[in-house]
Amino acid sequence: MNWSDLSCIAPVVAAVLAAAAVLVVDMAAPGRRRPALIAALAGLGAVALTVLALAGHVETAFDGAYKLDDLTVFLDALFLIVATLTILIAGEYLEPRGLPMAEFAAILLFAIAGAMLIAGAADLLLLFVALELMVLPGYVLAGFARHDPYSTEGAIKYFLLGSFSSAILLFGLAYVWGITGSTRVDAVAAALADVAATGKIAPGLALGLAFVTTGVAFKMAAVPFHYWTPDAYQGSPTPVTAYLSVGPKIGAFAIALRLLVAALGPVKEDWLPVLVVLAAVTMTMGNLVAIAQDNVKRMLAYSSIAHTGYILVGLAAYAGGQDDGLWAILFYLSAYTFMNMGAFAVVAALQRKPGVSSNIATFAGLGRRDPWLGALMALFLLSLTGIPPLAGFWAKAYVIVAAIEAGGWPAALAVLAMLNAAAAAFYYLRVVVYMYMREPAVEGRLAAPGLLSRAGLGAAAIGTLAFGIFPAVLTAVGNAALVLVG
Amino acid sequence: MNLPILSLIVFSPLVGALAIAALPSSHPNLIRRTALATSLVTWGLSLLLLVAFSVDGAGFQFGEAADWIPDLGIQYKLGVDGLSVLLIVLTTTLTWISILASFDPIKTRVKEYMISFLVLEIGMVGVFVALDLFLFYIFWELVLVPMYLIIGIWGGANRIYATMKFVLYTLVGSLLMLVAILATAWTHQAATGSWAHAFDFETLQAFAAAGSFGRDFQILAFLALFLAFAIKVPMFPFHTWLPDAHTEAPTAGSVILAGVLLKLGAYGLIRFAIPLYPEAAHTFAWPIIVLSLVAIVYGAIVSIVQPDLKRLIAYSSVSHMGFVTLGIFVFSATAYQGAILQIVNHGMITGGLFLLVGMVYERTHDRTIARMGGLGAVLPIWSTAFGFFILASAGLPGLSGFVGEFLVFVGSFVYAPGIAVAAIGVMVLAATYLLWMFQRVGFGPVSDFIAGLGDHMTDMTRTELATIVPLAALIVVFGLFPGLILDFLGGPARAFLTAAGVGGS
Repeated sequence: MNWSDLSCIAPVVAAVLAAAAVLVVDMAAPGRRRPALIAALAGLGAVALTVLALAGHVETAFDGAYKLDDLTVFLDALFLIVATLTILIAGEYLEPRGLPMAEFAAILLFAIAGAMLIAGAADLLLLFVALELMVLPGYVLAGFARHDPYSTEGAIKYFLLGSFSSAILLFGLAYVWGITGSTRVDAVAAALADVAATGKIAPGLALGLAFVTTGVAFKMAAVPFHYWTPDAYQGSPTPVTAYLSVGPKIGAFAIALRLLVAALGPVKEDWLPVLVVLAAVTMTMGNLVAIAQDNVKRMLAYSSIAHTGYILVGLAAYAGGQDDGLWAILFYLSAYTFMNMGAFAVVAALQRKPGVSSNIATFAGLGRRDPWLGALMALFLLSLTGIPPLAGFWAKAYVIVAAIEAGGWPAALAVLAMLNAAAAAFYYLRVVVYMYMREPAVEGRLAAPGLLSRAGLGAAAIGTLAFGIFPAVLTAVGNAALVLVG
Repeated sequence: MNLPILSLIVFSPLVGALAIAALPSSHPNLIRRTALATSLVTWGLSLLLLVAFSVDGAGFQFGEAADWIPDLGIQYKLGVDGLSVLLIVLTTTLTWISILASFDPIKTRVKEYMISFLVLEIGMVGVFVALDLFLFYIFWELVLVPMYLIIGIWGGANRIYATMKFVLYTLVGSLLMLVAILATAWTHQAATGSWAHAFDFETLQAFAAAGSFGRDFQILAFLALFLAFAIKVPMFPFHTWLPDAHTEAPTAGSVILAGVLLKLGAYGLIRFAIPLYPEAAHTFAWPIIVLSLVAIVYGAIVSIVQPDLKRLIAYSSVSHMGFVTLGIFVFSATAYQGAILQIVNHGMITGGLFLLVGMVYERTHDRTIARMGGLGAVLPIWSTAFGFFILASAGLPGLSGFVGEFLVFVGSFVYAPGIAVAAIGVMVLAATYLLWMFQRVGFGPVSDFIAGLGDHMTDMTRTELATIVPLAALIVVFGLFPGLILDFLGGPARAFLTAAGVGGS
């Protein structure tokens, strides 16, 4: 290890230092919200600077275990946005509930450090360690409201199933290592290219592939490995849900990109059928169950499962031979970050007072009680539905283009995805119906959200509105995807 | 002329919408007037277009093009032919009439209502001018959201059910259409090796004319587009959203639904589905003609038994729009012109009928035919107007409704005499349900229900007259001089038949 190695993982280092700084500040001013918040935001600013400084660099570090390239920087930036939005959403949510801001911010920063490590991991072991570094803080966050039984229940389910899936993933990685003789992603890919050339896949490798796919599918919350999602999402404090629905999902897809694409790309024909089934079942199941939900957080949990399905269509398109699927995935993840966190930000803003339920009835008449909040929620929901010209529409369109280009089964998935999107309109618009077409249960205007919430909502709204329209964004996404396919 | 007049027409309502967004909602009258002024400016611009448009020019005029997403060859490309110009003017006319007609009935959330209406206008006009398939799709979906809100917020008692049904039906069709559009562009890209102009309608049409889309592909893509457009028209059996949406929508919403939204479907068939996939269009022509006939007959029969004024007119729309799809799919110049004429006429006549029913509803808060009676004595001016529009709808010669149906009849007779005779026979049914309804509403002794309303039953106000008289005047003018419209359709008809592969017969 030398300095250049460290400079390559500067964002990770910065995130860890920021977390430590938040804890130190909390020791100096115990339990005070404002200093902790300022420290956390300043820390995120420092992380942002390191990410900016690394943009455009291409290097390997730690003997090839870590890769800094456009994809790493892109994912780092995405995680940074997720963390910032989460802090902004949490600012006014935690305090009335007596939950400590400093610990929340520190744990979140540790999780982000892990996520950023995934972004550049080029070694199976590092990938696994980074993954654990990302998800372990997530378990703590899920149970952050420790006096709330639902939060605890969700956290336990999340922890048990999460650990289980990590073990399965590790088991699969062991098989891959055993067959190919290396833990470096490049070497694995080279060895597998030889295997693929012979046209016969070893039973051990098939087993390893199955385990790896299962482990990753767990983290993505793909059906049938999604059972932890609704409880964890509904039980967690809303800002945590916002983070969980986006951060670990991007992390899981980052693993998929680094592992399935970069390492197991040569045998992609072998996992195409699995992905097709996984994508089809995930989006259909997520949507059908979401329709029946009356709790908005739970509905968004199932909807996030459905979105996993749409993103998997992009991966299936890649496996079907169309490299455009990869940048469609990256684009989708970015668009999804803004619109989904935006939706949760509205839920959190509504629930500022402890005891306000996230049931759909809470949204009745929101359009009149707080016109801005109502309009923003409508914006995020329309984007999630996929109405042009919002970000969610472009995300779907690009995935569909890739799937059509791939032809065959992925093209059939494209049709299924669109039918699903139409079904999803029902439950998204149902919230709009409550906000605008029903009388509020309680009259009177809501107090306006505070500065932090407004900043978070505004940022998410701008992302949702503008993300698809500017070609520059596409270029950045395109460069990140090019890393994987050369 | 270098003025980007099409962009001006499309986006002028946006200026008004933004202005209204900045106005305080405590001044509803100011908001109403701003909305009306905006829609009048847009209307004026569209009339300018009408005058400046050269009837003899070939192809698309007033073209505008700029790259939008170069990676996929998506352009911001606009242009109009005679067909689009007519539909644009129909849209802008009905929009200001609808906004004026909403002055009194819409009393809550005026600001949001007017913004929705102006955004709706952007989407509708955009559909008629877009020459890039992707851009077309975006305008197409843009129409959905404001209409969803207009029905859902300002609609009748059962509005939420109606608006969800409307949205879900439309979305199923349009999302499959998106897949088909993307697949079409990709097929072009695969053949030429570049995404350049992959969504450009003119490029794709030339590609299609060269027979470059394979038959199997055409069939799948055509079916996807057809489904989207058939739901919008709506064709039997995809029509079931229409009676609910029409009945629950506020008056102006019904006017726009019937006057413009249904036409988007017919326009899509004419502009995109048939020229891009001519072989598939011919393959499915007969089933579609039969479905059209079913719609004509079924809509008329079901209209007879409707107890609700708006529902009756809604089902009559199904019947009238059947003539449009029939006229399109027999692939003859005469029938094509008849179909377009029918589109324009139906927009004006049915729009007028919905306005008039809305006026009665404002006074009685009821639309049940059985509770009406003797309105001729109570509301003489209204009854005269209602009778006029009913006769126009029934196809009285001398009024515009007659000419369109007659041309469709003549044009399709050559191709399918049996179908044509059956379709025209339905005009008897149309006279039955319309005149019988008018008899129950307008004639006879004043019903107890109406008498009980006493002083509420005042005749049409000046504002109401201002919404009705222009439509009535146009119906007479086009009835006597259909050439005014047909002049615009010579070029488009030839282009349509060439694209459909039947030559300029």
